[in-house]
Amino acid sequence: MAAPRQTALERQYSLLGLMLIAPTVLVFCAVIVYPLVSAIYLSLFSVFTPTLQGGWVGLENYRSLLGSGEFWVSLRNNLVWTAGTLALQVLFGVGMALVLHQNLWFRSLARSLILFPYFVSTVVAVLVWKWVFNDLYGILNHVMMAAGIIDWPVDYLGTMPNAMISIILVGAWKYFPFVVIAVLARLQTIPEPLYEAARIDGAGPVARFFDITLPQLREVLVVIVLLRAIWDFKEFDLIYLMTGGGPVIATQTLPLLVYKEAFALNRMGMAAAYAVVMMAIMLVFMVLYIRRTRERRP
Amino acid sequence: MADVEFRKVRKAWGAVVAVDDLDLAIEAGEFVSLLGPSGCGKTTTLRMLAGLDFPSAGEILIGGRRVNDLPPAQRDIAMVFQSYALYPHMTVAENIAYPLKKRGVPRGERGPRVAKVAEMLQLGPLLDRRPRQLSGGQQQRVALGRALVRDPRVFLLDEPLSNLDAKLRGHMRAELVELHRRLGRTMVYVTHDQLEAMTMSDRIAILEGGRLQQFAPPQAVYAAPANRFVAGFIGTPSMNLIDGELAAGPAGPEFRAPGLALAVGPLAAGTQPGPACLGLRPEHLSFGTGPLAGTVQLVEETGHEAIIAVTLGEGGPRLVGRSPAGLALRVGGQVRLALNGPAAHLFAPGPTGRRLNAPSPSGAVAAAAAGDQP
Ligand SMILES: Nc1ncnc2c1ncn2[C@@H]1O[C@H](COP(=O)(O)OP(=O)(O)O)[C@@H](O)[C@H]1O
Ligand SMILES: [Mg+2]
Repeated sequence: MAAPRQTALERQYSLLGLMLIAPTVLVFCAVIVYPLVSAIYLSLFSVFTPTLQGGWVGLENYRSLLGSGEFWVSLRNNLVWTAGTLALQVLFGVGMALVLHQNLWFRSLARSLILFPYFVSTVVAVLVWKWVFNDLYGILNHVMMAAGIIDWPVDYLGTMPNAMISIILVGAWKYFPFVVIAVLARLQTIPEPLYEAARIDGAGPVARFFDITLPQLREVLVVIVLLRAIWDFKEFDLIYLMTGGGPVIATQTLPLLVYKEAFALNRMGMAAAYAVVMMAIMLVFMVLYIRRTRERRP
Repeated sequence: MADVEFRKVRKAWGAVVAVDDLDLAIEAGEFVSLLGPSGCGKTTTLRMLAGLDFPSAGEILIGGRRVNDLPPAQRDIAMVFQSYALYPHMTVAENIAYPLKKRGVPRGERGPRVAKVAEMLQLGPLLDRRPRQLSGGQQQRVALGRALVRDPRVFLLDEPLSNLDAKLRGHMRAELVELHRRLGRTMVYVTHDQLEAMTMSDRIAILEGGRLQQFAPPQAVYAAPANRFVAGFIGTPSMNLIDGELAAGPAGPEFRAPGLALAVGPLAAGTQPGPACLGLRPEHLSFGTGPLAGTVQLVEETGHEAIIAVTLGEGGPRLVGRSPAGLALRVGGQVRLALNGPAAHLFAPGPTGRRLNAPSPSGAVAAAAAGDQP
């Protein structure tokens, strides 16, 4: 194929373009490609964490990983946690955004207060919630017993399914403000005449929500679900600090398993293999999700 | 019986009074324009009729029924918004079918009705597209289609043509008139464009500062403006308005201003001499011969005619007139001119000073035009 000859000016422009994107490409290689490649490389070795010494084992790490029951339990926990906390975040988030979008006199105050859980450091938040959930001194048990709902203190973090429900709720509390802010920003850009036209066309409040608000929120919800799913799937500190993965491994997700392999069991190669598999799973989900949401749009 | 009626309607937002003391009765099948400058309360009036805003006082009736407390969906109206307000995620067909769907019209009945409207508006090939894949004119048609499909009693249109280019606007004007003729429904049309109001309406309601200035057929509004505001607002180039004095002359009433004394036609009974305003349309100036002398300020040749601005005498009033093309005039030069005194309008002082002319002969034009109405 004979490419048309470039003029000197065009060549100068493309050179400038290359120079301008070069730093980005270099940084991208340094911070994304290099760690990724070295993690995959590391996962092919058996490495003792304290000395970082070890030998080539090929795909042996992956074989024992897929054969171990702990991997499958952790994966299942991870999916339950992600789906549960994400669903609650979106539900609370959209609901709260709709409430704040109304003309409430305390709206600006409420808007800043709503961000509070998102800003609080996870360590602080977890400490507070652990006290709330504490089976002996916790306020939750105290209140529930005073109200006569329960006769005996409930162990919220040490038994199943209580522990999973507790971390899902705390995760929803901590991260729903993100959904509120994103949805609220979008709500404010929906043109008012759309709602007025719908009122004239005979749509009641519920029909207006489903026929106008929800379709208009679709695109922002796709982005929110995508981002929050990635972040929730790899959530470490909140779960680690709340339950440490317990009771036994009932709330242990893949990030906690990676940590355990690397620093408790001192098997760095194995930890790298878990991390690579985790990334592959997220990738598959993301591709499927993006495909499906694309298809539904014209 | 009037199809749409406003009785002493007032709308205030805090201290801002958008509409005040509005009395308006629109007959069934009439095409009425609400005309006025930006901010005069046209949209507010229409929105109160639609049920999107609520009057602070007064009553609104549609078909003899008081609708103040009825939600928009139960008023038997349809509205076309200035921004069209098409549902962006629905196809053209779904947009048009939406009002039917929300009123519980069965699915099987919706299809034929949408098809009928689509054919009337030539939307057939576009039915599967989404609003963002349409041009402005096509979106406009879809908005019309969504209003038409329900066959409502009253159509409300808020500056529906203002987002179109000039050529398309002319075309859509003709189409709307044709549509109105075919449907025979009451239409209330908001516009700030006097050309639209003059060419399309049966009657024009002219609003200013939230108050109704005149409600009359286009010819009457032009020939016998009810007050000084209407006189200056209607007509391009606008009417010459000269402040001066009304006095008793040797042969009847005379209007006097610096450099000008003009015998004027019969005045309304009870008119007293004193400060007044003379209004003279540009076509009532004639150039070339006449008792007056003016200095040419500006000549705009439009091809078939010329718009000429002159000042009378030394520092006298500035007048704009039209004259057939071909008059050789030089800016800065002198020209003789005559004013058609009997055609002049006279108004009381003040920005909305009332008309002082006797109701005829120009009033006869208004009466004849009004007689044409249903
Ligand atoms: N929602 C509102 N709140 C306060 N003032 C308003 C509101 N809507 C309209 N107004 C005021 O009412 C007046 C009339 O507005 P509008 O009916 O939109 O004028 P028009 O359509 O003739 O341009 C304006 O002075 C406008 O500022
Ligand atoms: Mg308006």
